[in-house]
Amino acid sequence: MLVDLVMIGLSIGMIYGLVALGISLIYSGLDIVHFAHGEMYMFGAFIGMTVYTQLNLLYPFTFVVALLGTALMGIVIERVFYRRLTAGGGGYTVAGMGIIICGFGMALFLQNLAYVIWDPTPKPFPVDFGRAIVIGDIYYPRVYLWIVIMAVALMVVLNVFLRHTKLGLAIRAMARNKDIAFLMGINVPLMISLTFGVACALAAAAGVLIGPINHVEIYMGYLILIKGFAAAVVGGFGSLPGAVVGGVIVGVAESLGAGYLSGNYKDIYAFLILIFVLMVRPSGLFSVETKLKA
Amino acid sequence: MLKIKDLHAGYGRIQILAGVNLEAEEGQVTAVLGGNGTGKSTLLKAISGLIVPWNGSVEFDGEPVEGLRPDRIVRRGLVQVTQGKEVYPAMSVEENIKLGAYVRSDRQGIADDFERVYSYFPILKEHRKSHAGILSGGQLQMLCIGRGLMANPKMIMLDEPSSALAPQAVMDIFRSINRIRRDGTTVLLVEQNVRMALLLANYGYVIKDGVIHMEGLARDLINDDNVRLSYLGGTVADTTGAAATL
Ligand SMILES: Nc1ncnc2c1ncn2[C@@H]1O[C@H](COP(=O)(O)OP(=O)(O)OP(=O)(O)O)[C@@H](O)[C@H]1O
Ligand SMILES: [Mg+2]
Repeated sequence: MLVDLVMIGLSIGMIYGLVALGISLIYSGLDIVHFAHGEMYMFGAFIGMTVYTQLNLLYPFTFVVALLGTALMGIVIERVFYRRLTAGGGGYTVAGMGIIICGFGMALFLQNLAYVIWDPTPKPFPVDFGRAIVIGDIYYPRVYLWIVIMAVALMVVLNVFLRHTKLGLAIRAMARNKDIAFLMGINVPLMISLTFGVACALAAAAGVLIGPINHVEIYMGYLILIKGFAAAVVGGFGSLPGAVVGGVIVGVAESLGAGYLSGNYKDIYAFLILIFVLMVRPSGLFSVETKLKA
Repeated sequence: MLKIKDLHAGYGRIQILAGVNLEAEEGQVTAVLGGNGTGKSTLLKAISGLIVPWNGSVEFDGEPVEGLRPDRIVRRGLVQVTQGKEVYPAMSVEENIKLGAYVRSDRQGIADDFERVYSYFPILKEHRKSHAGILSGGQLQMLCIGRGLMANPKMIMLDEPSSALAPQAVMDIFRSINRIRRDGTTVLLVEQNVRMALLLANYGYVIKDGVIHMEGLARDLINDDNVRLSYLGGTVADTTGAAATL
C-alpha cells in the first residue's frame, strides 16, 4: 500500500510540478504572478480531449496539438493584455496589482469561453493504456507511468533548452535584466512571448496527462492553480528545480494523506505541507540562487 | 557617424531632453558632460532605443535609427554600456563576455575579439573562470565594456565608466578607452570626471536642463573659464599632471 501510494503521489506530483514550473517560469522571467495558469491547464486538457475524440489522433499527437494550441493562446493573451500592464512596472506596486486582477479576470473569461465551447458537463478523455502493472502486491495503472515518463521528458527538454541553447541563453538573460539583454542584441519581446508560450505549453501537457484519469471539465483549473502555487512556494518561488521538487512533495503528501488519514480531506494536505515548509524555511526549499535568473 | 537633431525624450509625461543637437565623428572620442540628473543617461537611452524619442532624429552611419528596437540598433553596430555595471553574477566572467557576441556567428571574429578584450583588460583573463559576482567595481566596469565590444560595434557609448572607482581603476579605464579609439571604434563618452574626459576626448558637449549648453573642441573646453569654474576644480598643474598619465 505504501509503495502504491508513493508511486501514485509521484505521478500526480509531476502534474503539479509541470504547472508549478510554468508559474515559476513566468514569475522569474516576466515578473508576473499568473493567476490564469489553471485555465491554461484546462484548455490544454480540452484541446487534447477534443482532438483525441473528434479526430481520432493517437494520444501522443494530441500532445503536440494541445501544447502548440495552448502556447499560442497564451502568447496572444500575454501580448494583448499583460504586456500593456507590465510595461508600467510590475511586482508589488499598484501596477503589479493590475496584473493580478487582469489574471483573475482572464481566468473567469476563459472559464466562460470554455463553457460556451464545451458546456459544463465533465467530459471523458478515454485513452486505453493497457493493463495495470502488477508486481506482487503492487498495483500500478500504466497511465501513472506514462505521466512520469512524459513529465520527466518535458523537464529534461526544458532544462537542455534553457541551459544549452542560444535561445535558452537569451531567455535567461532577458529574465535577469531586460535592458541589458536588449543592449546585447536580444529580441526581448520575442523572448517574453516564447517564455510565456513555453510555460502555457507545460500547463497544457499537465492537462492532457491528467485528462484520462479525471474527467475534463471547465472548473478543473481552479484547484490545480492553488496546488501549483503551493508546489512553487514549497520549492522556492521562481526556482525551476524547486517547482518540480515542490510538486512531488505536495503530490506524495496528498496521496499518503488520502491513503492513511482520510480521502475526504485530500485537498488540504497540500496546504498543511505548504504551511509547514513556510514555517521552517520561509523562502522555500530551494534558495533564490537556483532561479532561472542566471 | 552619429548625428542627433532636436532630440526630445522623457519618461511618461516628464520631459527630460528638450531638443538636443549633437554629432560624433568617426574614429573620435566625443564627450558628453554635465551634472547629476541633467539627462546624460536619458540621452544615451534615447539613442540606443531603450526609450523611444518623442521627437527629433537620430542618424547612425548614414541611416535613421530613431524609434528602432534596441536589438536592431545593436545589430547596426551601435552599442550602449549602461551606468549600472550590471552583469550576470552567477555566470562566469567568460560567459558574460561571450553574451556580448550574441548577435554574431563568425567564430573566428568572436575569438579574435575575445583576445582584444583580454588585451585591454588582462585582469578579466585572469578571472575568466570565476563568477562575475566576485569582481570589484573596476573589474565589473571592464567586464561591461568588454561585453559591449564583443558585439564588434562601430561605435560604443559608455555611461560614466569611471564613476565610483578608485583613482587607479579610473586611469585603467581611461587608458583602455584611448586604446579602443586607436583600434578604430568610435566612442561616445558620458562622464562626470570632466578633466579626464576632456583630456581624452576630441570634442565635448556640456548638457544642462535637457539641452546642449556648450560645445567645442575638448582642448578649448578644458581652457574655457565657464567650464573651469563649473566643472573643473583644481589647478593647471593638476590638469597637466593628469595628462601625463594618460
Ligand atoms: N526611469 C525613469 N523614470 C522617471 N524619471 C527618470 C527615470 N530615469 C531618470 N529619470 C529622471 O530623469 C532625469 C535625468 O536622468 P538621467 O539619468 O538622464 O541623468 P544623468 O545626467 O544621467 O545623471 P547622473 O549623472 O546622475 O547619472 C532625472 O531627473 C531623473 O530623476
Ligand atoms: Mg546617468
